Amino acid sequence: MSGLLLFLVSMVSLGAIYAMLCVALNLESGVGGLWDLGIVSFFGIGAYAYVIVTAPPAASYQAYIFGFEAPVWAGMAAAMIAAALFALLIGALTLRLKREYFLITTLAFAEVIRQIFVNEAWLTNGVAGIYGLRPPLREAVDPSAYGFLLLALLVAGLAIVFLVTRHMVISPFGRSLKAVRENEALAITAGIAPRRHNLKAYVVAGTISGLAGVFYVWYNTIVTPGQYSSDVTFFVWTAVIIGGLGSLRGALVGGFIFVLLHDILRFVPVSGEAAATVASLRTAVIGLALILILRWRPNGLFPERATVFGGAAPAGAKAMVSHNA
Amino acid sequence: MLDVSSCKLSFGGVKAVDDVSLRVEPGSITGLIGTNGAGKTTLFNVISGFLKADAGSIRFMDRDITARDPSEIAKLGILRTFQTPVGFPRMTVMENMLVFSRHDRDRRSSPFSPARVPAETLEAASAILADFGLYQKRDVWAEDLSAPDLKMLEFARAMMAGPVLLMLDEPAAGVNPALIESLASRIRALRDQGVSFLLVDHNLKFVCNVCDRIFAMADGRIIAEGTPDEVIADQKVLELYIGKSAKTDLQ
Repeated sequence: MSGLLLFLVSMVSLGAIYAMLCVALNLESGVGGLWDLGIVSFFGIGAYAYVIVTAPPAASYQAYIFGFEAPVWAGMAAAMIAAALFALLIGALTLRLKREYFLITTLAFAEVIRQIFVNEAWLTNGVAGIYGLRPPLREAVDPSAYGFLLLALLVAGLAIVFLVTRHMVISPFGRSLKAVRENEALAITAGIAPRRHNLKAYVVAGTISGLAGVFYVWYNTIVTPGQYSSDVTFFVWTAVIIGGLGSLRGALVGGFIFVLLHDILRFVPVSGEAAATVASLRTAVIGLALILILRWRPNGLFPERATVFGGAAPAGAKAMVSHNA
Repeated sequence: MLDVSSCKLSFGGVKAVDDVSLRVEPGSITGLIGTNGAGKTTLFNVISGFLKADAGSIRFMDRDITARDPSEIAKLGILRTFQTPVGFPRMTVMENMLVFSRHDRDRRSSPFSPARVPAETLEAASAILADFGLYQKRDVWAEDLSAPDLKMLEFARAMMAGPVLLMLDEPAAGVNPALIESLASRIRALRDQGVSFLLVDHNLKFVCNVCDRIFAMADGRIIAEGTPDEVIADQKVLELYIGKSAKTDLQ
């Protein structure tokens, strides 16, 4: 199997994980109007919860005290439950605030959580992280083919997340979320309680991010605090903005485009000395793409579109219109 | 129906609502008039729960709603409108309607309730939109509507919600004078279907024409109440609208 193909499989796998995060962020921040800069919190909590539940007990050179070796499904459930509970806790506190105040607190909470990963070594093995984790079905196929199996799992996971989220967006729940985003006072007069409604969206987005964290562990076979810095939050926001904030398709495509942009420089043939310099240009490429998008397509590559409903025309509709026009 | 008794609300030293009591009888159209800054909109905000009164109580259909959450008050059947009818800008006209539908109200709390909108709900919304001349624009974003269309959409949303008490904040503002009479007849038609009204407007002719009873406010207090004829003949109301010195000059 050629190296390029392997590389491509790896990129698409990473793209699927980012797309999951984008879909989650789009639900709360695109469809809902929450300026959440803490999406990485639940990504990290999901990853760590999964590892704590499924990892084998610590080897002599490691320090964490848990490691239940539970089956994969139990780990996934634990990840989603832990992410949901933390989202409920953090959301109940931060959603009292609006806009930039909400934004700064969620950013701060994300950093607090990363510091917990670093400092509570009894739980997380600290900065070194926990590694050598076995992804599911590792023994089922030939090691050289495992990349394809993992890709299939990730794409299936993404498909489920996308369909569930799509359902929520087009249901009365999503419509109410959009109503709060568009005009909070008017939404209240329709009987919507904005804070409670936003909290639900926040918890759902957190749960999905937690699940994405599980997939990220499968992809990396290692978990370290450094993977869950706020860079991830900003990357996901960039991806959603490039795709089109508020647009389901945009969120889906945005994650893949982001990974492509981020890793496109790997194809530039450079000498060993220049490699570090070129690698540091990655974020510059992303920044440039963001500037170009905001300049020429401010609503993203796939802007949010009007939702169209079918249904028969009422009797006399035309006559009334011409009368009123 | 609605009973406001001795409500007070101050902002710093300003008594925006100062010991206000008023009643809206079932099936009536009650008007609230007064100059700018009289406290009419503040009183609207207090009744609908957007602001909490410092003192006094508000009862609606024999229930105390004084300290209730505004979304809870809305669910009890009080629908208030705002002076600027922007709607939900980046939602279609039809979505603007559906947010106020009974269908959405009953199903919005769960993210897993069915996504499909039943045909009856769409048809009901379409019929109301057609009545207000908005059916052809049902798939257009509200931000792309003209100001008069936004005003019509506001009434259409109110019809969709099917409230028990409809509180209109300046319904005639920005309405083409030629269409004000049709607005009045729509309000009367809804009243005949059992909806009660509390409305604020600066257009005295419109208010006197449509209302059964009027309360006049000045500096946060009710200064007069009665039938339209009684209120516009009231000495204090005359002074308020024409001015004391102007009136003595005229005499």
